[in-house]
Amino acid sequence: MTEHLLAVMSQIAWPLALAIAWLVGELGHRWLALPRISGYGIAGFLMAASQGGFLPNPSGTPVALLADVAFALILFELGYRINLGWLRANPWLGVTSLVEAAGTFCVVFFIARVFSVVLVPALLLSALAMSTSPAAVLRVVNEARSSGQVTERMLHLSAFNCVLAVIVFKVVVGYAVLASAGSMLQAVWSSLVVLLVSAGLGALFGVAVPGLLRTLGRLSRNATVVFALAVLLLTAVTHAFKFSPLLAALAFGLVARHRRVMLSQVQRNFGALGDLLTVLLFVFVAATLDGRQVVAGIQLALAVVVGRTLVKTLATTALARLSGVTWRKGALTGLALSPLSVFAILLLEQSRYLQLDLLGEVAGMAAMVLLLEIIGPLVTRCALQWAGETHQDRET
Amino acid sequence: MPLAPFKTAEVLTMGVELELQLVNTADFDLSASAGDMLHLLERTRFPGQVMPELTESMIEIASGVHEQHETLLAQLQRMRDALVAAGDRLNLAVCGGGTHPFQHWFDQRIFSKPRFKALSSLYGYLAKQFTVFGQHVHIGCSSADEALFLMHALNRYLPHFIALSASSPYYQGTDTLFDSARLNSVFAFPLSGRAPFLLRWEDFERDYFAKMEKTGVVKSMKDFYWDIRPKPEFGTIELRVCDTPLTVERAAALACYLQALCRHLLAGGEPPPVEDDYLVYNYNRFQACRFGLDGVILHPRRSESLLLRDDILATLRRLAPHAEALGSQSALAELHEVAEGGGNDAAYLRRQHALEGSVEGVVAAAVRCFRMHKEKEKEN
Repeated sequence: MTEHLLAVMSQIAWPLALAIAWLVGELGHRWLALPRISGYGIAGFLMAASQGGFLPNPSGTPVALLADVAFALILFELGYRINLGWLRANPWLGVTSLVEAAGTFCVVFFIARVFSVVLVPALLLSALAMSTSPAAVLRVVNEARSSGQVTERMLHLSAFNCVLAVIVFKVVVGYAVLASAGSMLQAVWSSLVVLLVSAGLGALFGVAVPGLLRTLGRLSRNATVVFALAVLLLTAVTHAFKFSPLLAALAFGLVARHRRVMLSQVQRNFGALGDLLTVLLFVFVAATLDGRQVVAGIQLALAVVVGRTLVKTLATTALARLSGVTWRKGALTGLALSPLSVFAILLLEQSRYLQLDLLGEVAGMAAMVLLLEIIGPLVTRCALQWAGETHQDRET
Repeated sequence: MPLAPFKTAEVLTMGVELELQLVNTADFDLSASAGDMLHLLERTRFPGQVMPELTESMIEIASGVHEQHETLLAQLQRMRDALVAAGDRLNLAVCGGGTHPFQHWFDQRIFSKPRFKALSSLYGYLAKQFTVFGQHVHIGCSSADEALFLMHALNRYLPHFIALSASSPYYQGTDTLFDSARLNSVFAFPLSGRAPFLLRWEDFERDYFAKMEKTGVVKSMKDFYWDIRPKPEFGTIELRVCDTPLTVERAAALACYLQALCRHLLAGGEPPPVEDDYLVYNYNRFQACRFGLDGVILHPRRSESLLLRDDILATLRRLAPHAEALGSQSALAELHEVAEGGGNDAAYLRRQHALEGSVEGVVAAAVRCFRMHKEKEKEN
C-alpha cells in the first residue's frame, strides 16, 4: 500500500511542484515585490529531495529535456532581439563585451585558485562565470516591461557573453579530454565541431523557417506557434546528437531576425506556453542543487559573486561614456548582468556525458548558482528600476 | 498670469517643430528612450533644438527661424542626420508618422517633468492616448492683429494641410480608414478645435483670454489645443493640424506651402474672413481626416462641393507667383506631385502594409523613409 502510494506520489511530484512554485512566485511577487522567477527558484530548492522535499534530483531525466526546450525558447527570443549591426555602429559596445567577459574570466580564475580549486574545474568555473543568464534577464525585462539603454545593453551583452562562455567552456572541455584521454579526435570533436555544427544547425533553421513563413503568406501572421515548434525540433535534434542546444537556439533567433523576410508578430515570452515552461525551468535548476554542497562552498561562492559583479560593473562603467550612455547607466548595466544560474546549470547538464561533476567537485559552484538564482533577478530588476526604465505603474 | 505681450516677428519667416517616434529595432514597438537620446545629443552639438515630449517614446525637434525653403530644408536635414546617427549608436530607430501603428497607450511612460506629470494626472488616459506625433509650423507676423487675421483667413485651407500631411492611417494595430487618425486623439481634449472669432488682439485679450483665465480653466496659451493658435512669445501663428510627415523634406514643403498661402492672404488675395466661414469648418476637417486627398469639402462662401485634391492643385497654381517670390518652387512642386498622383504618406503606408503584410512592416518602412528620402522616390 505504501509502495503504491509512493509510486503515485512520484508521478504527480512534478506537476504538483510546478503548481506550488507558481503560487510561491505569485505571492512573492505580490507581497515582497520579488521577481517571479526568484520565487520559483526558492520553491524548487526547498522542494528538492536533497533538502528533504519530495522532488527527486531531475538531472538526467526527461524533465531535463523539457528544461532545455524552455531555455531554448528564451534563447531564441533573445537572439531575435539582438542587432549585430549595432556592433558596427557602436564598436565600443563590442569592446565592452570583450572586456567584461575576459575580465570576469581572469578574476574568477584567480579567486578560484586562491581557494585552491584544481586547474580544470577552476577554468570551467571561470568560463561559466563569464555568462549572464538570458533566462533571468529576459524574464525580468518582460515582466517589468522595461525599455531603454540599460535594458538593450544588458540583453546584448548577455547574448554575447553567453556565446563567449560556451566557446571557452567547450575549449576547456576539449583540453581536459585531451589531457585525460589523450584522444585528439575526441578533443577536437568536443569543442570545435560541436560549436560549429550547433551554430550551423541554428542558422539553417533561421533561414528555413522564415522562408516557410513567407511561403505560407498571410496564413502565418502570428508566428508564435511556428517558431515554438521549430525551437522544439531544433532542441530535440541537438540534444539527441549531443550538440549544443543553447548555441543552436541563439543562432536560430539571430539568423531569423537578420534574415527576416517578413515581419510578423511573435508574442513576448512565447505567451502562456513560455510562462509555463519558465516555471519548470527555474524549479529544475534549483532542484539540481544539494543544500550540503551549498553550505560547503558558501565562502568561495560569495567571493566569486562579489568579484564577478565588481568586474562586470567596472567594465561597463569605464566604457559607458565612450559607448554613448551616462556613467550611471553604465554602472547599472554591469549590475544588471548579475544573473547566471540557468545558463550555467544547463550547460553543465548538457555536458553530463563527459562525466564532469562540477557541482560536486567545485565546492562553490552550487552555492553560487543558488545565490544568483534568487538574488540575480532581484538585482537586475533593481538596476532597471534605478535606471528609470521599468514601467512606472506597478502591476497589481 | 496675463497673456504675454505679442512680440512682433519678421513677417513670413517660418519655423518647424516635429514630434518624432523612437522605436526599437527588434519588433519596431515604441521605445521609452527619450532620456538616453537626449543625453547623447547633449554631448554633441545638435544643429537645432531638441526636447522631450509628453511620453518617453517621443522626441521633439525644432528648427530656427528661416525665410527660405533652402535653408529650412538644409537645417532639417542636418537635424535628421544627427538624430539618425545618435539612434544608430543606441540601437534606436527614429521615424515620422502621425501615430505609431500598433503601440498600446497604456504601455507608455510619461516623461518625468512637472508639466507633463500634471497633464497626465488631469487628463488620465487621454494624456497617454495622446502619444501621437504632429508637425507644427510657425509663421512670423508683424503685429498681433495680423496674426489673428491670418489665423481666421486660413480656416478654409486647413483641410489642405490635413490631407497633404496625413500619415496616420493605422492606430492600435488596425487600419482606422482615416488618413489622419491622429487628429481624432486631439479632438478628445476639451480645449481643441477652432479659436473664437475675434480679429483684434485687445478684444481677444480682454473678452476671451482674461475671462477664460478667470474661470481657472487655462493659465496660458499653451493650454489651448486649437488647430491654429497665436504664439505671443514668438510673434507667430502656429499651425498644428499636420501629422509629422515621413520625411523632413515633406515637412519643409508643408511649411513653405503655409508661407506662400500667408503671403497670398496678406496681399489681400481673398475676401476677409467672417464668422460664418466656420459653419462648414468641422465638416471639411472631417472629410480631410477621413478621406485625405479624396475628401469632398464645401466652399464656405460659394456652398459648392470641391474635391480636396482639385482644390489643392488649383491653390498651388494660384500661389505660383508667391512661391517664385519666396524661392519655394521646388517645395510646392513636391506637394503638386502628392496631390496629382503620388498620394500622401497615409497612402504610402497602406501600400507598405499590403506589401509586408503586417503593421510592424509599416513602421519598418517609416524608419527607412526617415533615414533616406530617396527610398520613397524609388518606390514611386
